[in-house]
Amino acid sequence: MRGPCGPQDPGESMDIAVEELAGGVTKINLQGRFDTTGAVVVELPFNKVVTEKTRVIVDLSGVSFLASYAIRVLLVGAKIVGGKGGRLVILCPDNNVAKVLKTAKMDALIPIHQTESAATAALGS
Amino acid sequence: MSSLETSRLVLRNDLAELKRLAGWIEGLTRQDVSSDVSFAIAFCLEEAVANVIMYGAPTGDHLEIAVELERDAGALVARVEDNGRQFDPTRAPPPEQPASLAEAKVGNLGIHLVRSFAHDMGYERRDGRNRLTLRFLEARS
Repeated sequence: MRGPCGPQDPGESMDIAVEELAGGVTKINLQGRFDTTGAVVVELPFNKVVTEKTRVIVDLSGVSFLASYAIRVLLVGAKIVGGKGGRLVILCPDNNVAKVLKTAKMDALIPIHQTESAATAALGS
Repeated sequence: MSSLETSRLVLRNDLAELKRLAGWIEGLTRQDVSSDVSFAIAFCLEEAVANVIMYGAPTGDHLEIAVELERDAGALVARVEDNGRQFDPTRAPPPEQPASLAEAKVGNLGIHLVRSFAHDMGYERRDGRNRLTLRFLEARS
């Protein structure tokens, strides 16, 4: 089952791409299975971005699976950004991914948005 | 998968084995298991096996992790058996909900999530092996 934001072709491996948006917003695009091995692959490049940036959107629309190790990566990232007075938000998780985040009560700690404009607005100016 | 068939996969304690596990589960559940139950099985077995791989052999010993999946009376039953150090996930306390992001502790979510996604979870230690049983109820049509 895929939601409106769900991945079309999640593929097997995990990819990370970083995009700079207007207004000093950085978008991290994650693609693939964010399982334990995927989380190990993206952890270092993800941490590098969150260490350098203060307004971060993590786009999960291309992610088909989320393991607890992946939640750990997201939570550590949000804490690093938050520790600098910045914000990290999640954009457009797939239905199953959103279910895992909500069951883990991560949505109470890391805001989840369905559109890029809402995510950007949530980061403030 | 048919009602009488039990499928079994044996893995080593190497993170690369998780891809093989995911493919095996997808192959077994693709045909006649709902997407919700299929996801729950994939999620819980990934967590259970990853836990054994990462923490089951602190001294780096080679472990054997056997995973079984069978259909039984309206449920799918998964078993994970390993010869790693003793660990009973049913006795793990639930995580505390932090008041803020700054107070949030990292880790210890996997067992809580498995408990949430599986209908029930059982554990026994027998002959030097951990044996975890997870049941997933199939939706009634």
